Amino acid sequence: MRRRVLFVLAVAAVALVAVPEAASAHGFVGREDLPIPKWLFGWAATVVLVASFVGLAVLWPRPRLEQPAERRVASLPRLLDPICAAIGLAGFALIVYAGFAGSQETTDNVVPTFVFVVFWVVIPVLSALLGDVFMAFNPWRAIARAAAAIASRVSRGPLPAAMPYPTALGRWPAAAGILVFAWVELVYPGRAEPSHLAVLALAYAAVQLVGYSLFGIDAWSRRGDAFGVYFGLFARMSPLRWEGGALYRRLALSGLTTLDAVPGTVALLCTMIGTTSFDGFQAGPLWGDLAPRMSDALRNVGFSEATALQVAFTIGLVVVVLLVAGLYRLGVSGMRNASRIGLSTDALAARFAHTLVPIALAYVVAHYFSLVAYQGQAMGYLVSDPLGRGANVFGTAAQTIDYTWVTATTIWYVQVTALMFGHVAGLILAHDRALVAFKDGRAATRSQYWMLAVMIAFTSLGLWLLSAAGS
Amino acid sequence: MIVPPLAHAGHWITSLLYLVPLIVVIGMLAAASVRDRRAAAAESAGSPPGDATADEPPQDRH
Repeated sequence: MRRRVLFVLAVAAVALVAVPEAASAHGFVGREDLPIPKWLFGWAATVVLVASFVGLAVLWPRPRLEQPAERRVASLPRLLDPICAAIGLAGFALIVYAGFAGSQETTDNVVPTFVFVVFWVVIPVLSALLGDVFMAFNPWRAIARAAAAIASRVSRGPLPAAMPYPTALGRWPAAAGILVFAWVELVYPGRAEPSHLAVLALAYAAVQLVGYSLFGIDAWSRRGDAFGVYFGLFARMSPLRWEGGALYRRLALSGLTTLDAVPGTVALLCTMIGTTSFDGFQAGPLWGDLAPRMSDALRNVGFSEATALQVAFTIGLVVVVLLVAGLYRLGVSGMRNASRIGLSTDALAARFAHTLVPIALAYVVAHYFSLVAYQGQAMGYLVSDPLGRGANVFGTAAQTIDYTWVTATTIWYVQVTALMFGHVAGLILAHDRALVAFKDGRAATRSQYWMLAVMIAFTSLGLWLLSAAGS
Repeated sequence: MIVPPLAHAGHWITSLLYLVPLIVVIGMLAAASVRDRRAAAAESAGSPPGDATADEPPQDRH
């Protein structure tokens, strides 16, 4: 049976590979000067996923990523930790100050570009490459640690023990935090105003300090600090890990296999993918048709025009997150039925939750690459004049954004590549986990047919969103 | 009156093309699933009841 299915998949893969070549011969040219229409990239991506699936089934008979081996490669100076914390704290103070004291023009003030480009997009990518670098610079954690050290000295004794972190709370606070941030980014009308962002940054810091003081710095960092958890998840993909003044090297992706899928983890990952998906969806023609109709319906029940639009966008955001969660659950449910494993769907969903992390990163890279490529350049002049008051600290204030350095075609290829790599990585992780969960290779492969369908669904969705956003 | 968006049929049809690979794979999965069930049913009908779970992974028997 396995051989037959693999044979059919292989034939399908070969057949699909042939399609883009045939289409190319007909000379289809997209708006980005592409050799084939964009939807054919979706078909080609499916071919890659199917071929990867077949390759894994044949060439990857034993788990290789579970129980990751690490090698210590360097010791770090003791001073590095407080220096990084001080830099993070100073950066946070500067952002808040710039938000209040700087120009309120979005493009002149460093705050919007820093928050929505550097913080939200660049740090996840850096985390996936270099490990959890944000942990060292986390300004809220730095404040909490400094406060704990001072309180300990003043009281001349041990501080009262923190409350035990409730198991049921899991990563739900982080999921809620990321959803709220996405709402601010995509719905909140004051998102481009530096002073509003500064107030929100202070509010977030206050919530974190309450969390640290209630549950302890380590527990809250690992579970509740939305951005710390968000960046930490991506950092698990990295071949590097920083801990206790040492740097460790490991196999890339292997850090994800040790992810403890506590309550809220699947929700957090679906929120990460869903919010990015909605960002693409709301720029497309389908939402362009839907949003005004929803807004009109809401106005008819008494909402003001502005509120109706916000409510419509909020509903859209939540619905897309739920759709992503439903898609994943459908795949897991299919996997459960196909494998006849004695685990509940919830338990199985948690066991395979780590496979969603590379997909979330792929969505971030694919959806925000052009933002970083263009708006990211603004940091060149904003570092010299962060308040937008005419300063020129580093002599770069006269720099401008070059919109020609990367073409629309290049952006599309980067987006497709990111999505394909992310989903192949997800397939690898799912296959490796299946080998452990199901013990024998046949059951593992059979269970993964449905995860393959999930990966193809997410890839097709991602490419459709990207193509629709440009139409 | 709701007007069908025929003028935008090109957009819709192109969007549907993104679904084709997923439909193909799900169709194959469904077919494989049906074949598996038939084979399991035939196997359990022709063998003693104790052999019905022979296909399951070891940890499922607990």
